This record gives sequence, structure tokens and C-alpha cells, in this order.
Amino acid sequence: MKFGILILEGPYQHQAGDSAYNFAEAAVAKGHAISGLFFYCDGVQNATTYMTPPQDDRHISKRWAEFIAKHGVDAVVCIAASKKRGITDANLIKGARIAGLGQLTELGIESDRLIAFGD
Amino acid sequence: MGTIDMAGKKLEVDEDGYLTNLDDWSREVAGEMAKGEGVEMTEAHWEVVDFLRQYYDEYKIAPMIRILTKEIGKKLGKEKGNTKYLYELYPGGPAKQACKIAGLPKPTGCV
Amino acid sequence: MAGEDLNEEERSEEDKKKFLFLMRKAPYGSIYPQGGLEVILIMAAYDQTISVLFADDGVFCLKKGQETAGIHVKDFSSAFKVLESYGVEHLYVDKTSLEERGMKPEDLLTGVEVVSSDEMSGFLSGQDVILPF
Repeated sequence: MKFGILILEGPYQHQAGDSAYNFAEAAVAKGHAISGLFFYCDGVQNATTYMTPPQDDRHISKRWAEFIAKHGVDAVVCIAASKKRGITDANLIKGARIAGLGQLTELGIESDRLIAFGD
Repeated sequence: MGTIDMAGKKLEVDEDGYLTNLDDWSREVAGEMAKGEGVEMTEAHWEVVDFLRQYYDEYKIAPMIRILTKEIGKKLGKEKGNTKYLYELYPGGPAKQACKIAGLPKPTGCV
Repeated sequence: MAGEDLNEEERSEEDKKKFLFLMRKAPYGSIYPQGGLEVILIMAAYDQTISVLFADDGVFCLKKGQETAGIHVKDFSSAFKVLESYGVEHLYVDKTSLEERGMKPEDLLTGVEVVSSDEMSGFLSGQDVILPF
């Protein structure tokens, strides 16, 4: 099955982003495909290089960057949400791209299931 | 960042020429912005600007292009309700250029 | 003004999906309702079947007479009025949610279909994609 993943909450504040990551890993481990990630609202903060968490905590954006590289997943960060938060190509994780909400529509069309992780 | 000079008063605009403070808009300011864009404002141009401002005033959003052409067709006449007509008036695009001159916020680029 | 740079090629019917937006939260308490609305306004350019269901505190999104100047945020409720012209097929409001909040359809700023919980579960299962906001 092809899963699209929508992330609506920010890192280290809410469980949604962690659940999204755990779900994506589990889906791939079970032989499913991730058709794309879409970071929206505060979710865009998961995809920045701003964070430097302590070594005994998970590194949320690094974890996503590795996941994207390893599985060749398309990761889109909403442009409007990024602009509000000062996120640009200069502080975006590798493998992600800034684009519009139309990409979320495309993801909904392409995926067998679109799963939203939010509050 | 830039400014538009209006009778000695400097109005702030962003790097793409959109007004920073939407309240600064007036017909004179619109005329000045159009000049900067190389657009000569005729009655047909003002019709579109007035339509966009009314729409924004009522709904607080700029209409997407398909709706803009449909509504303009309804309001101003069928022969005007198409993208070709709007691009002839505003070669920079109804969303980008006409909204800028009409003093609407910059589109987020969320397509 | 979305859609200006879209390649206007027609989608085949197989690509057309039924999207339902589930609005469950009060406006201005969080970004969710506005975030959902913005997705709807963009998605409308993509020739999909779109419905919106307002339930729980989400029914407050449609309350007439929202005045936001005092809290210095944009009143985005007016934009719900354009959805019909944008081709959004149905605006549903959950009857129980509306009643629990002492509201009537006349209190809402746009025409809606008031539906019971039973009807709701019926059409929820008929959707391809449900987006909770």
C-alpha cells in the first residue's frame, strides 16, 4: 500500500510528529511504500536544521533527513507555513523541498491512504 | 525592501513591490505602482482593480484565477471573463500584478 | 490567487477522489481551521470532489458576526462564503454539535446541510480521503 503522510504539529512539543515518523518506519518495514511526506502548519519545523537537541534525545530533523535519503521519499514543506516561520532553503533539511499546498492535493490523489498526524 | 514616493511621503513596499501596509493604498498609490510596472491604467484596468478590492473586502481572500474570470464575466460582461483578457490588461498576471496594484496581499505561492 | 500557473490539463475520472475536510476546532484557538480552509481553497483548483463537515467546536467556524480586530488576527470566516463558488460540493454541519452549542442554522454565515450523526457516519465511509483539521 502507498501511504501519504501529513504532519501538522511541531517537534519536541507534540507527539504527532513522532507518531508520523514511527508510522512511516513501521510501514516501510512491513513492505509498504511512503508516497510522500507533507509538512504543514507547525509541522514545517520538523524539517529544519535549526535544532540541536541534547545527545540523549532523538534528533527529529536528522531522523527525517535520513529516512528521506534511505527510502527516496518526496518530502514537501509548505511554502506559506515556512514563510511565516523564517524557513528557507538555507535552513531546510537535505532531501526536502519547499512547495505549495497543491502538492498535498497531489499526495492525496496518489496515495492509497493519506494519514494526517496532528492534534 | 523599497519605497514608493507619494507627494513627499514614502510608502514601504516589499522586495516584489507589494505594499507593506495595506492601509496605505489609494487610487493615486495604485496609479504610481502601475507606472512602475509599465501598466497604463485605463477604465478597463480600474474595473479589475475595483473588482479585486470588493472581493477582498467581502471575503478577505484573493480569488483563484478560475473564479476571478468567472466572476468578472458575470459582473463586467462575458467577453471580459477570460484569462486572455486579463493578461492583456496585466501582462504580469492577474494574480501577481493586478493584486499588487489593487493593494491586496502578496499571494503565498501555495499552488 | 491559486491556479494561475497550473497546467490546466484535464484529469481522468480515475484521478478524481472524494476529499472530506473534517473541521473540529474553534477558530482562532489554533491554526487548524484556517489551515484546513487554505488547503480547501488550493485543492479547489484541482478538480476533485470536496466536502466539508463541521463538527464539535468546528461549528463555531461558521458563526456569523466574527469580530477579530480586538485580538489582532485576521477574520478568515468570510472566506467560507466562497466555497460554493469554488465548487465545494457540500458543507455539512453536525446537528448534535450545533444544538449542544445552542446554535441554529440561521446563526451560520453560509448555507449548510445539517446532518445527524447517523448520516454523518454514512458519508464518512464513502470518502477516499478524510483530512482532519
